[in-house]
Amino acid sequence: MDLPEFRAGLDAWLDEHEPELRMEAGPDVAFDQEIEHLSKVKRTTYDAGWMRRGWPERVGGLGGSTLLRAYLGEALASRDLIEPGIYSMTEVLAPTMIEFAPAGLAAEMVPRLLRGDETWCQGFSEPGSGSDLGSLACRARRDGGSWHVIGQKVWTSLAQYAHRCVLLVRTGTPESGSRGITALFVDMDSPGVTVRPIRAMHGRDEFCEVFFDDVRVPLERTLGEAGGGWAVAMDLLPYERSTSLWHRGAYLRQRLGRLLASVPDGTIDPGDLGAVAQLAFALHARSRGTQHRMERGERLGPETSVDKVLLATTEQAVFDLVADAVPAAVAVGGDAAAGRWRTEFLYSRAATVYGGSAEIQRGIIARRLLGLGAER
Amino acid sequence: MMDTGTAELLGESLEAAFRNETAAAVEASLAEVGWREALDEEGIAVVPLLFGRQGMANAVSGALDDLLTTALGLPAGPDTAFVLPEFGSCGPPGRIHDGALTVRGLGTVRTAGAAHAVVLAAGPDGALRAVTVETGKLQARPIGGVDPRLGLTAMEGQGLTASQGTASQGTAPQGTGIAAAAWEGALASGRLALAHELSGASRTMLRLACEHAVTRVQFGSPIGAFQAVRHRLAESLVAVESTEAAAGAAIEEGGEVSALAAGMAKALAGRNARTVARHCQQVLAGVGFTDEHDFHRYFRRVLTLDGLLGDSRTLTRELGERLLRDRRLPPPPPL
Ligand SMILES: Cc1cc2nc3c(=O)[nH]c(=O)nc-3n(C[C@H](O)[C@H](O)[C@H](O)COP(=O)(O)OP(=O)(O)OC[C@H]3O[C@@H](n4cnc5c(N)ncnc54)[C@H](O)[C@@H]3O)c2cc1C
Repeated sequence: MDLPEFRAGLDAWLDEHEPELRMEAGPDVAFDQEIEHLSKVKRTTYDAGWMRRGWPERVGGLGGSTLLRAYLGEALASRDLIEPGIYSMTEVLAPTMIEFAPAGLAAEMVPRLLRGDETWCQGFSEPGSGSDLGSLACRARRDGGSWHVIGQKVWTSLAQYAHRCVLLVRTGTPESGSRGITALFVDMDSPGVTVRPIRAMHGRDEFCEVFFDDVRVPLERTLGEAGGGWAVAMDLLPYERSTSLWHRGAYLRQRLGRLLASVPDGTIDPGDLGAVAQLAFALHARSRGTQHRMERGERLGPETSVDKVLLATTEQAVFDLVADAVPAAVAVGGDAAAGRWRTEFLYSRAATVYGGSAEIQRGIIARRLLGLGAER
Repeated sequence: MMDTGTAELLGESLEAAFRNETAAAVEASLAEVGWREALDEEGIAVVPLLFGRQGMANAVSGALDDLLTTALGLPAGPDTAFVLPEFGSCGPPGRIHDGALTVRGLGTVRTAGAAHAVVLAAGPDGALRAVTVETGKLQARPIGGVDPRLGLTAMEGQGLTASQGTASQGTAPQGTGIAAAAWEGALASGRLALAHELSGASRTMLRLACEHAVTRVQFGSPIGAFQAVRHRLAESLVAVESTEAAAGAAIEEGGEVSALAAGMAKALAGRNARTVARHCQQVLAGVGFTDEHDFHRYFRRVLTLDGLLGDSRTLTRELGERLLRDRRLPPPPPL
């Protein structure tokens, strides 16, 4: 199935099924309900075949171009049926599994993620290791047929709902840096795993602390080589800046469109609006190029940091415009629409932090794309 | 669409053409390369190739004249200049009143050597006509301005009639009728060209600053090792890439230029070029403030190009006003 056929088929299907996929909106919608709703959207689209397109058959997919995945998320976000932050975790974690997990494990697990039967999380950051991921300390010791994991992760999104975790651990010496890291695929119901949700600024338990107290992980759950975890992480990051980013771009345009359709006359400065629309257009154009490069099988690398900087800049610009256009809604509004603008405005502040901060992205651009050599 | 091999070859020839010192030599080389024929045959696909390189080389030519003349369906050539709207404006530079033409516009570097100039003029009813006049009948005053090398002139004329014997000459009252949509299309092509020229100039400013950053040593390190410097240059690359992405997306599948997208690309190009200039000049510091270093030539160029066929600020505001009228975002190019 090619993209035009997929697009036409999906659009028609969504026209029909949109009502049942719509999220109940309201100030009281809890994160739990959002997660449940996401599972429902994934299950429904999986069972109808849409969610399986663009994924290899060996992991439950129906094959076809990665553009189909990009379009599915775009269509769902444009119709306001998903929140791409949580929806697009799949786009980061499933490709990692496909590339690095033993074939049987990927075949068993990936369909559960695609179908929304399971939620997964990504355990990279630690209290002592944020941007400096190579310094991570959560330790795994090999003992016979298993790894034993001891340590802590933090800011782990969705860990309280997660069935599995793609976890980075130190298996080399404490000084081994990026060379001594291994990636594991961990069952979150393993004995010794404790999850403590953290309330985020925008009012949701966005992420968690996760504690590992001598958690046993079978060796077959190693992703890539032992000691090869850095490669896994580096491979995953460009994905975070490709398909997921495309979905997020579609969501930002949808929100900007909503703002335009709903604000009273005279509340938006035309110059500001024009500038934000131009940013959104440039982001779309840039990310579109990246989707096509990925589709052609090109290896995505440091150039996706440009996409990430553009996304974060655009996201904050969109919600800065919101805050200027409907300041009362954001600051003191009490209805559902106002609550949503407030939540989204606050959440947009994280766009320059997660997935590699704005500064880290600029560092990558300087070293890898501009050839400025090492930093002093 | 052009295949990559052809595009590469054409790109190389254009690059060589822009290495010429004078505008006349550039024009001669462009004629040799066959740029106008390429434009006729390949359409808009050659615009990024040419204008990007013209910007990178800080070169001047009559390519914009050719592009706008062609876009209005008139025969282009080295002897035909195109009178641009006045700086900062994008309205037609001519007015037709009682059968006579009044002109107030900008001449490009081609004007001095060309026998004819195409003037787009609005009649009393607003209808547009392209009138080809003898260049000698117009007063051309060189504009020094911030970028004298660009060779712009202030063009004025009153009581003019169409020149004799040009193929573009229509019947009544003079010149050729131009549909509003055709002018909008020509403006879109011109804006796309200028967006690429601005991004080419930005690329060179960034290259100059990066070369400086890895060679200039202070405090025992190349200044490119300092994070403040690195981040300015990274920010500049993001700016250039975003202009190029937007300009690339302004050409639709069938080779048509989207007027809306071309306006956005031009506005982004102008604004981003200023950002790049600001960061790169700071990195180049003292030497970047000299007349000897090439930086200022590019800076001067982007300041001027921003004002041709609609400046960034105006285009941005107009876009916002339009979106507020429509109350919706236009659909972006599909995946
Ligand atoms: C909403 C949200 C969701 C998240 N989800 C997850 C998740 O699911 N899994 C996960 O593993 N992590 C997650 N994170 C964590 C995220 O990846 C980290 O917050 C991020 O990597 C930055 O680390 P830090 O917060 O420790 O900041 P730090 O690394 O301490 O940085 C603090 C500041 O210093 C700057 N800085 C640091 N180093 C440099 C440098 N070399 N040069 C210049 N500036 C520098 C940073 O840019 C930042 O501005 C999430 C974060 C947020 C906000």
